[in-house]
Amino acid sequence: MCGIAGIIYRQPELYKNLGIDLLQLIQPLETRGPDSCGVGIYSNSVSHNVKILLFATEQVAWEEVKKWLQNQVQVIKFDVIGSGRRIIIDTTNQALDLAEFKHHLATHFPQIHLMSIGHLLEIYKEVGTAENLFQKYQLKDFSGSHGIGHTRMATESVVDTYHSHPFTSAPDLCLVHNGQISNYYKLRFFLEKKSIEFETNNDSEAIAHYIRYQLLQGFSLEQALQNLLNDIDGTYTFLVATSDKIALVRDKFAAKPAVIYETPEMIAIASEYRCFLSLPHYNPNAKISEPDAGEIKIWSTNNTQQRTFSNQRDSVLTLGSWLIANS
Amino acid sequence: MHQTIPQQIVIDCTNLTTREINQKLKALASEGISTKLLNPAGRHNLAVGITQNIIISIAGPVGYYCGGLSDNINIEVFGDCGWSVGENLMSGNITIHGNASANAAASAHGGKICILGNAGPRAGISLKGATLIVSGNVGYGSAFMMQQGCMIVCGDAGANLADSIYEGAIFVGGEINSLGADAKLELMNDTDWQLLEQELSAFNISARDYNFKKVICAKRLYHFKAKDWGNY
Repeated sequence: MCGIAGIIYRQPELYKNLGIDLLQLIQPLETRGPDSCGVGIYSNSVSHNVKILLFATEQVAWEEVKKWLQNQVQVIKFDVIGSGRRIIIDTTNQALDLAEFKHHLATHFPQIHLMSIGHLLEIYKEVGTAENLFQKYQLKDFSGSHGIGHTRMATESVVDTYHSHPFTSAPDLCLVHNGQISNYYKLRFFLEKKSIEFETNNDSEAIAHYIRYQLLQGFSLEQALQNLLNDIDGTYTFLVATSDKIALVRDKFAAKPAVIYETPEMIAIASEYRCFLSLPHYNPNAKISEPDAGEIKIWSTNNTQQRTFSNQRDSVLTLGSWLIANS
Repeated sequence: MHQTIPQQIVIDCTNLTTREINQKLKALASEGISTKLLNPAGRHNLAVGITQNIIISIAGPVGYYCGGLSDNINIEVFGDCGWSVGENLMSGNITIHGNASANAAASAHGGKICILGNAGPRAGISLKGATLIVSGNVGYGSAFMMQQGCMIVCGDAGANLADSIYEGAIFVGGEINSLGADAKLELMNDTDWQLLEQELSAFNISARDYNFKKVICAKRLYHFKAKDWGNY
């Protein structure tokens, strides 16, 4: 069991409520996941700015990280946040080479973990309660267009900050997952052969990498998720967020729960119905529904129309046959 | 905490733990007093494990396992319900005036569970003798491994209906997306229509308004033979 939750607003006036709404939505789900809590928040940003969240539990020579960054790009902010740093860079004149940055971190500061990077995305996660997490990073004050959250009950890997959700695999992309991936090792082996580096032993990380890999192949998010339904085996209900979308995917057996709350103002998704009752502006007339087995739902911030896809389709990608051929 | 109306006790769930609510219900059941629960707020495990006759009316949506593991109870829920409503019910009635999530009436041995709305995936999973009535649709994999009893669905049934069913009958008034392994359609006879009319008239539903189809076990896979592997 784990708890997942997501919010996407239909009206920009409500963006200011994101932090508090997300906390209210995720907190009841601690009964499903007492180990850790995490959120991925998409908050307002200047278009040429990129936010980088770095995390480390050990001593780090942060000044050297800052110096290296300043040599590459224009650093606007380098704030202490918890035991990490929240950095804002201006990429107007010079873009950050993400691969090189990651390589530099891995070689010179292996103790630093890249929590998130993107124009909008900020990921905060930690072992312990939602209340602690929100207090520590003052997340209640966060505003934004959409966000996802997770409470974890560990089944597959250790309980620590790195193995907590959300998982990210690309700028402005993050994922929260409830379930288990049955073909995790094959999937991981396949992705590692494509030069994708795994940072944890959590099976959910593989889903995030799989989606990134699919997007890099030129598939749209919709197509990527349809391929995923055929390629990823196991039980899963997950939310994946991008700079302007939240997608909900439920496996073909509908093994893990999700409930959708829909009003003219917002859409909220949670593992259990009771979470919606604690929303500060709970609307008793909201449309309540559940995704079907093998269903994909995608909501976007600029176009609040929802798009739904069903699963009845054969695998179009090589992974399915590759997995069989290599099993 | 609770005010007394003649013959009925009202319990406000707001400031009570689930254990406190269930203990109160058990005590009231032993005295044969009917009860109304206010503000259930989607809470799990309400009215679970009650083995004496009681009438419970729940004003609002409930969470998982409502009325589960109970015997000789009468529950009416005015709202939606979560997973596994009436799981392992032995006898009595549970009526939901709303939709039900997954696993409605899972492995229920007896009694009647009525969903006056839609039910989610795996409705009537491993049904062991109870009657499950759904006035709307049921989701994917319903009646999976059903062993005994009766399931009546006025609306449509999702994919893989009655997969690996042993005994019992399923009646579907709408479309069946697909049948699971070892399930087959059977012609409706007069006794079947009588049963449907009798069961549905209690909810002012006329069985003849629907084109009911009957699904039973084909019994081709009762005994495992390696040559049948492809049929599973």
